[in-house]
Amino acid sequence: MSKTQKIVWWTLGAVVVVGLVAWGVFRNSGSSNVIKIGSIEPLTGGAAVYGQPVQDTIELAVAQINAAGGINGKQVQMIYEDGKCDGTDGANAAQKLVNVDGVQAIIGGFCSGETIPAVPIAAAGKVVMLSPGASSPALTGISPYFFRDYPSDAFQATVMGNIAYNQKGWRTVAVMEEQTDYGTALTNAFSKSFEGYGGKVIVQAFPSATADLRSFLTTLKAQQPDALFIVTQTPAVSDDLFDQLIQLGWRPPLLIGDIISGDPAIIQKYSSQLEGAIGATFLPNASDTAYEAFINAYQAKYGGVPPYQNYMACVFDAVNLLAAGIKQVGYDGAALATWSRTVSNWPGASGNITIGSDGDRAGGDVPIVIHGAQVVPYVAQ
Amino acid sequence: MSILPQLIANSLIAAGTYALLAIGFNLIYGATKFFNLAHGVMAAVGGYTVFFLTTTFAQMNVVVAAAIGVLVAATIGWGLDRVVYRALRKRHASNMVLLVASLGAFTVIQAAIAMIFTSQFQTLSSVASEQVFQVAGASITETQIIIMLSAILVFALLWIFLKTTMFGKQVRAVSDDEEVARIAGVNTEKVLGWIFFIGSAIAGLGGILIGFDTGIQPTMGMELLLKGVIAAIVGGVGSISGAILGALLLGFAENFGIWKISGEWKDAIAFGLLILFLIFRPKGIIKS
Repeated sequence: MSKTQKIVWWTLGAVVVVGLVAWGVFRNSGSSNVIKIGSIEPLTGGAAVYGQPVQDTIELAVAQINAAGGINGKQVQMIYEDGKCDGTDGANAAQKLVNVDGVQAIIGGFCSGETIPAVPIAAAGKVVMLSPGASSPALTGISPYFFRDYPSDAFQATVMGNIAYNQKGWRTVAVMEEQTDYGTALTNAFSKSFEGYGGKVIVQAFPSATADLRSFLTTLKAQQPDALFIVTQTPAVSDDLFDQLIQLGWRPPLLIGDIISGDPAIIQKYSSQLEGAIGATFLPNASDTAYEAFINAYQAKYGGVPPYQNYMACVFDAVNLLAAGIKQVGYDGAALATWSRTVSNWPGASGNITIGSDGDRAGGDVPIVIHGAQVVPYVAQ
Repeated sequence: MSILPQLIANSLIAAGTYALLAIGFNLIYGATKFFNLAHGVMAAVGGYTVFFLTTTFAQMNVVVAAAIGVLVAATIGWGLDRVVYRALRKRHASNMVLLVASLGAFTVIQAAIAMIFTSQFQTLSSVASEQVFQVAGASITETQIIIMLSAILVFALLWIFLKTTMFGKQVRAVSDDEEVARIAGVNTEKVLGWIFFIGSAIAGLGGILIGFDTGIQPTMGMELLLKGVIAAIVGGVGSISGAILGALLLGFAENFGIWKISGEWKDAIAFGLLILFLIFRPKGIIKS
């Protein structure tokens, strides 16, 4: 390469670098007309089945807000980060959103696992986090910067413990617990409730990615419990578990976590095994007009009803609730955190939302039963 | 009702799946002396090929689809050796470089599968009728019986092949010392290509059968690879019979551990076994 050529290349390189930097600076300074909101959900891995509809639902809500003129005249722009339902990835995602993108609010995480380690990072940066799906009781009162519009699992476990002991008369319940923050928290809350009445709980916990659950089920079956409580989080694991229950020829009365009762595909596929299974879930009122409007808008945009509707209604509400907050107190993490504890009877697609001083959504789960591959309200006999 | 028969059956099923991964891994390791991490993703390649074929062509026979799946996995394994590993060997790259390259290949192929087929969990079992048999007080499905028989059959065929054929002798020569084998007139590159072809075919078969038994997802390779590698090291790294013994030991240790200790320790038991062997018997049960 001749000297002149070298100079030309170096100059070209310098121009490109300066241009990129200038573009970046210009873009940031020009962003005063845009409200950038962060979002964390599992976009890859086994839990990505939730992340995609979550993203779709957020996009739907944002599109509606922007079409209506944005928030105080500013357009909303989302920055999505992949939390993979995992602590490390959730923390990395929060680091990036807080320190690189400089957002003031984050919608997410969706799983408890990716949310718990992300909260301190957001709080340190004075960024408010609103989770539409993380339901671990470990998040109750975790930080003034955290709140959620999906109820804590402690509610559903208490509801189920009561029905199992007092109405069904079960005294020994076996638990198949997927070792995630969700699974462990739900199992612990159930054990506390059921053992509080005087019942006995036998737990088999298994690592999250386990596909071969045969020996776990074999050992539980041998102890002849009155019922089996299935606490799975990953759809793949639920699928394997029911499949292997059938192979083993074991048909115990079932208790199920709200992730299974919120998964129409699993309920359809294993309808006969799940017939009569009891759960407790957060169930939006299907005849509510705001809920209907959400389902219809989703259907119009994506050509199908949203999966995991109880969750997606909360995702949809999270975006709109946050927008309402920004409209009221401005786009500032600390102001939004203070405002979050004042939310009371805010009308959303998932019902009226009231946030308690511990950041949890007040009100909770109702008992349900699977009947004819449908989730219907449980009626005490 | 005793739970022993069921636990033994569960152990044998698990051992069968581990063996299908470990045999190919040891075959490749024996000849190349490097940890081919991309081996795990061949299982996913096999499983997804069958998934693609059976969902695209509804009329396709399952056995034909499985055969094509095995061939595709084998060809990709062979292609990896041809394109990536051979070039690195020519440059006398260290085994560490080859390991990193194989990890790269693993990641690329896994990501490609996720992009084409999404990360969603899929089952192949909807295309095959599943019959549950009762054998000596244990429930066991048709697929699970096929898994165990396949592991035994693959092992037996490979063993006979390596012991009795001229090509088998060449494979063993390359495994002993590639340099000397080349000087003695063995076309070592060709032999290595075939080793990758056969090893990946076995992994592909494993992935397909596991797909019928439990299901497939793009990330299935790493889990299978880890268990396969543990079985391979415990049994005797580089040894085909070692792979079978290691798989059996691992399968039984895991499943009886769930019974006698607690399920939470399943993975800890597997890796504890690995550490014990690495410390006290690093060459494994069968020293090759």
